Amino acid sequence: MGEGKKKVRRKASRREKKDWVAGYVFIAPVTIGLLIFYVFPFIQNFWFSFNDVNKFNMATFCGISNYQRLFQEPDLMLAMKNTLLYAVVTVPIGLALSLLVASLLNSKIKGTSFYRTIYFLPSVTMSVAVALVWKLIFHGDFGILNTVLGIFGIEGQSWLTNPHTALFCVMIVAIWGSVGYNMIILLAGMQGISRSYYEAAAIDGAGPVKQFFKITIPLLSPTIFFVMITGLIGAFQVFDSIYMMVDPVTNPAFNKVKTMNVLFYQNAFMYGEKGYAAAISIFMFAVIMIITVIQLVGQKKWVNYD
Amino acid sequence: MKKNLKKLVALGLVATTGTTLLAGCGGSDKGGSKDGKVELVMSVWDSDQEPVMKQMAEAYSKENPNVTVKTQLTTWNEYWTKLEASATGGSAPDIITMNVLHVEEYADAGILMDLTDAEKESDLKVHDNFPAPLVDGYTVEGKLYGIPKDFDTNAVFYNKEIFDQAGVAYPTDGWTFEDFRKTCEDLQAAGLPDGVYPTAINRNSGQTTYDAAVFANGGYFLNEDNTETGWDKKETIEGIQPWLDLVLDGLSPTLQQMTDTDPDSMFQGGQLAMYFSGNYMIPSYNKTLEGKYGIVKRPSFNGVDKDIINGLAFSVSANTKHPEEAKDFALWLGSKEAQEIQGKSGTVISARNDCQELFLDTHKDLNLQVFLDNVPNTELLPHCKVTAKLSQVEKTYLEQAWQGEITLEEACKSIKPEADAILDEMNAK
Repeated sequence: MGEGKKKVRRKASRREKKDWVAGYVFIAPVTIGLLIFYVFPFIQNFWFSFNDVNKFNMATFCGISNYQRLFQEPDLMLAMKNTLLYAVVTVPIGLALSLLVASLLNSKIKGTSFYRTIYFLPSVTMSVAVALVWKLIFHGDFGILNTVLGIFGIEGQSWLTNPHTALFCVMIVAIWGSVGYNMIILLAGMQGISRSYYEAAAIDGAGPVKQFFKITIPLLSPTIFFVMITGLIGAFQVFDSIYMMVDPVTNPAFNKVKTMNVLFYQNAFMYGEKGYAAAISIFMFAVIMIITVIQLVGQKKWVNYD
Repeated sequence: MKKNLKKLVALGLVATTGTTLLAGCGGSDKGGSKDGKVELVMSVWDSDQEPVMKQMAEAYSKENPNVTVKTQLTTWNEYWTKLEASATGGSAPDIITMNVLHVEEYADAGILMDLTDAEKESDLKVHDNFPAPLVDGYTVEGKLYGIPKDFDTNAVFYNKEIFDQAGVAYPTDGWTFEDFRKTCEDLQAAGLPDGVYPTAINRNSGQTTYDAAVFANGGYFLNEDNTETGWDKKETIEGIQPWLDLVLDGLSPTLQQMTDTDPDSMFQGGQLAMYFSGNYMIPSYNKTLEGKYGIVKRPSFNGVDKDIINGLAFSVSANTKHPEEAKDFALWLGSKEAQEIQGKSGTVISARNDCQELFLDTHKDLNLQVFLDNVPNTELLPHCKVTAKLSQVEKTYLEQAWQGEITLEEACKSIKPEADAILDEMNAK
């Protein structure tokens, strides 16, 4: 062991101690909030998953029976399939569209800030309002979509109640909603790329498409990776848009569009079986963790931090 | 010095954030100040009813100046989730508006106060003064957990304009299900405008439509001791079939259409000629259709008059800080004085026998008598502790039948074993 690495233990001066105290005081609000609202519920949730918990949080220990039940759950495969399908469709398409929009808005044309605002609007709109408007668009009798299709002689249908189309409708809304937010992050990344690379490439005869793939994409890869990883985690946790657009009580498509989080909600808040619901959420936590680890390992192959 | 000042500011900031955080966690101490004043909180979900509940509370405070009652309005969609959370945290409202679908579960979990003795000591006499199905509905294992508040029964609401345009005679009391179907067919044959239907029979509208027919037909959904469902019974299936036929024969919108626009809105929008609904919908229908619709008794089924009754009650939280005051107020809410105030408001039918008729005078142009005439022939809305889970099973199969993918018999026979398994699980606990 080298001399320099040896830890020298010495008494901290009064001044240093005071600095520590100040440091802890500064991080206290966030830490306390995190402990109360994230760490504690997580531990409680973990504990609940080994208990039979009723509506009113009265728990009786039941070992791993919640997990046994989960692996016999008839809807598990369907919910996993829907969740994966949702993630695999919305994240790449959303990312590609955001990249396209971001690079268009990064060019020197008039009115970019106007368009940036327009594209960002879905992110600052209440999701309930968004769901309501899209429900009207997809409405079987009076929807705009069917009216437009009718002009071209295509017969429309009730998109949100058809089990084959309902999930795709939700996906379209999700992609539409995510473009603005992703675009802002990607745009920030793009503006960090020095113009001199593009100038040099242009002199060497590279067109805009070649520049995009040879300069923008590699230099933007850390940002793309960030957008992808947060997007995937979000997609695996999708709940609100499905719940609001496909009503659990009246919509006949509901049983076919269940995702893992919808399954969780159903058990926790419709049936009052919170122990079982906790097991579902722990299972999802493990799945998301594994996928994120794979991504973190895989990123070494394509993400360029230089 | 300057540095110390900065630290001081930081510390101050931290302290304020900290206290706000903690303030959010601690339950505020409700009422009970030193001068003997007590404040009770009463939960309610219906904004149409909040004003009259306030009136009742004020009338009580006039007689009992030391008690004030605050109403807490939470919309239906969040009401039970919020109540669940507050009951879990031990801070449920003192007076809880309860329905029959939830009372057993809440009573079992010890959230509600047993009012049996208090009722016996008082002169309320619930068994004499209130309809029996309602009192039974709020009695769990022989103990009374709620003072009946109001009730609802059902009737057929018809849109006069649609009938006039089609040249079909208005329906009349004393008609049969066959007459009802005939009227639907006549309306259809007369040529209704695009998007207008003779009626709407939704999959989840059992309470207003086919549930009663099942009972009239001698079928049932749950047996006496909640150990078995009656979905496979011939009488049950035959009680539902004619209603489903209306959908399959195009006399009602399809299930998809009723999902995109719920039938209540369709009726309010003048898209339905006839619609089965409860008396509680009158204020909503009056918003768009006042004077343009009539009410007629439900058609009899196989010559039998049946209807489903459902009603709310006032329950008391077992954790209330003022048990005596809360109990006294809950019992008072069942008194003639309180139920008269409620009855006169016209929002609901007061549960108390001697106050029910007050409802008749509230909308003089409507034939409200049918709602009261139904009472002796009513069955309480079928319910048990796992209603939510059972309805999800029913939904899965009935929806397929409603869309014509499977027959009703196939649907019912598939519901039976799954529903029975859920009951077994409930009874094993």
